[in-house]
Amino acid sequence: MAASVTRAEVLKIYKTMLRESGKFSFYNYRMYAIRRVRDAFREQKAVNDKSKIQQHLLEAHKFLNIIKRQVIVGDLYKFDKLVIEVENNEKH
Amino acid sequence: MASFGKVLCGTLFTNPCLRVLSRSIGASKCYLNQSKIINNLHIQTCTAPVAGAGSSRWYSNTTAASRLSMIEVETRVLKTVMRHYSVKPPMTIEQIKKRVLLVLQLYDKVNPDKLSLESHFINDLGLDSLDHVEVIMAIEDEFGFEIPDEDAEKLHRPKDIVQYVCDREDIYD
Repeated sequence: MAASVTRAEVLKIYKTMLRESGKFSFYNYRMYAIRRVRDAFREQKAVNDKSKIQQHLLEAHKFLNIIKRQVIVGDLYKFDKLVIEVENNEKH
Repeated sequence: MASFGKVLCGTLFTNPCLRVLSRSIGASKCYLNQSKIINNLHIQTCTAPVAGAGSSRWYSNTTAASRLSMIEVETRVLKTVMRHYSVKPPMTIEQIKKRVLLVLQLYDKVNPDKLSLESHFINDLGLDSLDHVEVIMAIEDEFGFEIPDEDAEKLHRPKDIVQYVCDREDIYD
């Protein structure tokens, strides 16, 4: 297990990435981003080496910035909501 | 003085409102009675216009209100949602417990059979720290406020979450 400071840091960026991914206005991108973030973190769950964790963390920050940027770019082009989304909203 | 009041009461005052006045003359020394007069007078003035409304119609036969049955009117009126933009609907501890458990049941990695208020996320339900973060995020979405990471770390059981939400919403029972 990583040192306690890093652990909190990793969990923090995991949460931030999921939150940012949820902001994609286009359904497919949103779902892909959330799924990808979850899978990527679980893939590297067993990593013990501190330098590797540091490396992954830097990578995560890089991808977080990509997500943030792409959310803004996505907002510039409006799509109609998909059929599945509309149905979901009506049910709730 | 007292006898004068009684006489007045028996002879002159037939109107209930004025009868109260006469009683006040009889016991003008007592302050308690004075407050009663005010109350009585108040009731009189309030009920008078209502009684008038009962005797005469305020709407014609052709308005929508007369054509709809009482049940229809009630269902329409009572269903109207009142929006409070600054006040949240009141919550009880029971409601919060239910909502927390519902959120947890809907999370795909939680086994609903094992779930109870006392079950430990990591030890009993077999979640890892990443799942725990997701659970906390789901709770945040459900109750509409953010839980700081330092607090989230301490929420190991559904019970803790319920307590945290109660503290946050100022609900004590």
